[in-house]
Amino acid sequence: MDPVSTAQAVNEVQTLVTHIDGYVYPNEQNLLWSVLIVVYPYITGLVAGAFIMASLVRVFSVQALAPAYRLALLTALAFLLCAPLPLLLHLGHPERCLEVIVTPHVSSPMAMFGFVYAWYIMAVLLLELWLEYRRDFVVWGQRERGFKGLLYRLLTLGATDVSPGALHLDERLSQTITIIGIPSAFLLHGYVGFIFGSIKANPWWGNVLMPIIFIFSAIVSGMALCVVVYMALNWVRRRAADDACLDKMGMFLFFALLVDFSVEALDWIHRLYQAEESIHVLKQLAAGKLFYSLLVGQLCLGTLAPLFLLGATQLLRERIAMWLRRRIYFISAVLIMVGVLMMRWNVVIGGQLFSKSLRGFTTFKLEPAGQEGWLMGLALMILPFVILGVLVRYFLPILPVTAAAGEPASAEK
Amino acid sequence: MTPLKLPPQILRLVLLTVTILGSYGVMRHMLRPASFGEYGHYRGAALEEIAARPPTYAGMKACNECHSDIVQKVAKFEHKTVACEACHGPGREHAKDPDVKNAKLNDRLCLRCHEVDEARPAWLKQIAEKSHFRGDRCVDCHVPHQPKETP
Repeated sequence: MDPVSTAQAVNEVQTLVTHIDGYVYPNEQNLLWSVLIVVYPYITGLVAGAFIMASLVRVFSVQALAPAYRLALLTALAFLLCAPLPLLLHLGHPERCLEVIVTPHVSSPMAMFGFVYAWYIMAVLLLELWLEYRRDFVVWGQRERGFKGLLYRLLTLGATDVSPGALHLDERLSQTITIIGIPSAFLLHGYVGFIFGSIKANPWWGNVLMPIIFIFSAIVSGMALCVVVYMALNWVRRRAADDACLDKMGMFLFFALLVDFSVEALDWIHRLYQAEESIHVLKQLAAGKLFYSLLVGQLCLGTLAPLFLLGATQLLRERIAMWLRRRIYFISAVLIMVGVLMMRWNVVIGGQLFSKSLRGFTTFKLEPAGQEGWLMGLALMILPFVILGVLVRYFLPILPVTAAAGEPASAEK
Repeated sequence: MTPLKLPPQILRLVLLTVTILGSYGVMRHMLRPASFGEYGHYRGAALEEIAARPPTYAGMKACNECHSDIVQKVAKFEHKTVACEACHGPGREHAKDPDVKNAKLNDRLCLRCHEVDEARPAWLKQIAEKSHFRGDRCVDCHVPHQPKETP
């Protein structure tokens, strides 16, 4: 081909490629990780956060949070059951999923996820739930008939001793498991940050603070989820939420958000001061392609607004009526959840929008349909709530149960 | 000496743990490919397993035996380096028995090579499907065997 035609062809190609801005390498034009990889760390983060919220009751003896304890654990379970789904859908070939367990590759953090997940669900969450519910399973199994009765009797695993000594042992075991559970929850979510933080070729990701940022944002989002779910459940059941519990949740949410905000701010300050060669493209990314999701969504709506609102409830608690505080908690929690979702988006999508040449950007357009469409992401976010609805129906009855021995037991501990 | 007596809930948990770990061991034993780990973290017999699969392509020589006129015509135009089965699909069954037809050609087949992509060499003709032509099929305007001719 003569030089003129070659130049013509190059011009044609360049004018056809409208989604490129500046220079990007050919394999950076299209994003490989899409909305499913955004949803995945979001869901695992919600699990870890909800568990941390529950462990405040068990390990740190924050009794004001007791009304939300079981709900927080069930929320963690509902979301944990859905946590691998985005990965399965993204990778395709779900029939091969067991290979990661059958032929484990210990030097790959991604491959180790199967074991981290199995450990967390089997050795921590289900175990803690079982010990927490064992006494109730025995009582409900004796009282209920049909499928429900059979389910509860099966779930006792035949351990029907509910003497004070046995219950005391349950309590002690449960406490030990929660103590193991906290580092496990950190491991479950920290590893997502670890994977991103290990990618040293990408300055947006390769950062030692990444696991810490992920863990704190996870704690914040999970606590916010607990607030939303607790208030929504009480609203659906036409029952008044426990105000002391809400105030306590609001307090922990505020302080967790404050720490999360500080760590992320520290990350930015450090990046700006360090001013590595990538800082120009990162600044352009933040102020350009990610303007709405980072500065508006994550920073203003998802962090500063709830910090202001929750901060007001902490500083002016006596002056703000309870009905207004309830609304503030709910709105803040929803804003935080949206903000953390935006944070996941900014990390996952943002890290793929700029070129490793640090000289250009590509564009990502989210399609509604398809395996990687936003409808799929939405379905994955709705599914845990459906599962939670079923779990609540079976394991969080409205009426207080009465123990076989005659001692009263609250349905929502 | 009194035998060690575990509380019932701990006994159940121990049994459950042993069952789960045992099931994992059995599953691993059954599902792990026999040659796995022979040389590294992969199936040692992977290449032999692939080689043992029945071939589905016939090769251009087989096409040339019956369709030499078309093969010679294609050889004069831009698509001369493209193998017949790259577009027409695997043809081993068709080569054995001409009554067995190859799979029907996909109307969007051309885009596999000609949809614009910066990763492609610039000399390769590229179009953006959305802005190029919104008609039915590429072959309404182009002849795949002689791309410079019009139908």
